[in-house]
Amino acid sequence: MARMKFYCDAERCIECNACITACKNENEVPWGVNRRRVVTIKDGEPGERSLSVACMHCSDAPCAAVCPVDCFYTTDDGIVLHDKDICIGCGYCFYACPFGAPQFPSAAAFGSRGKMDKCTFCAGGPEETHSSEEHTKYGSNRIAEGKLPLCAEMCSTKALLAGDADVLSDIYRKRVINRGASVLNWGVQYKKAGIDS
Amino acid sequence: MASETNTKSARMRKTVYFSILSLLIVLALPLIPYAFDALAVDVKQNKEDKLVALQSPAINLWNDVRQRNGKIEGTSQVKSVDSGILINKTGEDWRRFRLEILVPYGAYLMAGILGAIILFYLVRGKTLISGGRSGERIPRFTLNQRTAHWFTAGVFWLLAITGLILLYGKFVLIPLLGAEGFSITAAACKEMHNLFGPLFLLAVLAMLILLVKDNFFKLVDLKWFAKGGGMFGGHVSAGRFNAGEKTWFWMVMIFGIALGISGLILEFAILGQGREVMALSHMFHGISALILISVSFGHIYLGTVGVEGTLESMTTGSVDAAWAKEHHDLWYKEMTEDSETIVSADKNTQSGIAQSGIASPDTGG
Amino acid sequence: MLEQLVDGIFWDIALVVFFAGIAWRIVDVIRRPGRNDLAESRNSGISGAIMANIRGFFPRREISPRIRIHVIAGYMFHLGLFILLILAAPHVKFIEEHITGFGWTAMPYGVFVITAMISFAGLILLWIHRLLNPVSQLISRRGDHVATTLVFFVMLTGCMALAESSTGLRLFHRFTVELLMIYFPFSALMHAIMFVPSRAYTGSLFGRRGVKL
Repeated sequence: MARMKFYCDAERCIECNACITACKNENEVPWGVNRRRVVTIKDGEPGERSLSVACMHCSDAPCAAVCPVDCFYTTDDGIVLHDKDICIGCGYCFYACPFGAPQFPSAAAFGSRGKMDKCTFCAGGPEETHSSEEHTKYGSNRIAEGKLPLCAEMCSTKALLAGDADVLSDIYRKRVINRGASVLNWGVQYKKAGIDS
Repeated sequence: MASETNTKSARMRKTVYFSILSLLIVLALPLIPYAFDALAVDVKQNKEDKLVALQSPAINLWNDVRQRNGKIEGTSQVKSVDSGILINKTGEDWRRFRLEILVPYGAYLMAGILGAIILFYLVRGKTLISGGRSGERIPRFTLNQRTAHWFTAGVFWLLAITGLILLYGKFVLIPLLGAEGFSITAAACKEMHNLFGPLFLLAVLAMLILLVKDNFFKLVDLKWFAKGGGMFGGHVSAGRFNAGEKTWFWMVMIFGIALGISGLILEFAILGQGREVMALSHMFHGISALILISVSFGHIYLGTVGVEGTLESMTTGSVDAAWAKEHHDLWYKEMTEDSETIVSADKNTQSGIAQSGIASPDTGG
Repeated sequence: MLEQLVDGIFWDIALVVFFAGIAWRIVDVIRRPGRNDLAESRNSGISGAIMANIRGFFPRREISPRIRIHVIAGYMFHLGLFILLILAAPHVKFIEEHITGFGWTAMPYGVFVITAMISFAGLILLWIHRLLNPVSQLISRRGDHVATTLVFFVMLTGCMALAESSTGLRLFHRFTVELLMIYFPFSALMHAIMFVPSRAYTGSLFGRRGVKL
């Protein structure tokens, strides 16, 4: 079975934010909720790199481990989804997630955040596939149509890759070989060290 | 001298010295390679010059992302708290703390203390007032103090039960109630917990103001601890509150205020606190709560079943004079110096406290 | 099915019992013959009635220290309760849908919760005081305790349903409210309505009594 993952190639990301726009549009994400975000390290300095990050669909998901009502489940494809009907909006998944993927629609006092919302790998949710409830609550279900997430499809430089982990790592491996170390490395070149690519 | 070198004691001495020496040599043997290693430093350094500094591609980028060289925040068009942090490492620490330390050890602590109390009761039974009740009453807690205590106790138990359901429900209640059923329970518990939480903080502060005067530790309390509260060593002296009660008071104050403040931080997530602050607050909250719940079992036991004549101090406000003499003799002496404070138990006036409750113009504590 | 019961027939029964019961009690009080007072009245009975109603809200100075907790906790609870009933968003929505057909601006969520906290604190303080104070112990009857418990549960189920995420919790709250409505006309809770005629009667009596100076 496929194991679905994201990979963002830091060398290709140009911080155009098309992935965010595509996600918000396709999934009708409410105001203030951002399932995906682009983070730029060392903005303006030499060595500036950008990464697009959303839910990484971890194999051992910390969000699922700490959820007090156990609302998370992992599909056969390795996609981590959750049930908004069971979610109580406690925020623990947000504390545990290393990537800050869980988002909450409301920032009111007294801990009332609303139901958690996060990237679904465009795979919908526990509701019936392609039903209107599924679309309102979780966004589109492209995986059921045999398509890949729209953020990766829309990426202008193909920095953001989404799909089976084996396929992704193969693509990235070829990129690394074809690039040569001088692009990736910030100092030492492989050639100097006498190591073949 | 010649005769001394071959005596039995001389031979014994030689055997001992020889054994010790050989033992030391045997123990020193494994240290020899270390000596070689220390001496071989020069050799190693020569070799290092020939190696080339080889780094993985983009190692600096991923070190920054992983925050190995200190906190490096990026920028993002998504402007929210912590949005510039790509990988938050406290998340995993917190997950492991909650699931591997808090959940199991909390359960062991509560079960352990509960078990110890049950065992204690089965072995020692109820501590009765030696010599029986005297029939004379001495006022102990004013109405305000009792109201504050029961208010704190009631709110504490509401919070404890809802909190425990939120912590342990996933493992215990989901099999019983199912996912949807437990989600409803958990949502209800979360709302109750969030509403009564700040009330608990105010209640603890009220208790602090009302009862702190008699709860400062004195020399007599050291003696109380030394004798194990009277469990071994016979009679111990105590003032209005004995050393055990004072310890419980300060535990409630310290852990209670810690619970209140960490609870407020957790509840008002809109003040710009990041995940690190929330995870730390949760840690303090959980640890304080489980400690307080566990020790409260002891407090409740001693206050109700454990010692005869104790519960009435908090329900009626007065205690039997014999109880006071036995458990708080210094306080009994203080109270009986002023002879008006002893009130005889009068059947018509409900344990006699009515006289101090109605006749005096001020019932405040 | 439960939703149909609570939202449907049980709600109708509760409404009927509530209003009919209150009406019956009021009629019963009005029906009773008053005393004929043939003396010349000092002031009009009406002004005495109104003044007594207003003065009843402020405790007499002589007994103030002794009833401080009653006054403070009492106001915390009652004012909090009225504000919650009238200005809390879910209640405004309910009134708009089921009773009046029009609504009004509700208070913000944070204020809602703080008001609920104050109201709860008042109720619990009064409840504990009723159980501990020897005078209250003597004059409290079973009805007083049942009423306090029922009101507490109505508020508690309301608190549980705050997240408005589950119909089950909302129905539980509605159910306890309906129980309260059915219990209301036959209990001490009638003081909510009876305090007006009660104070009015005493006030008018003393308003008329005496000599005009």
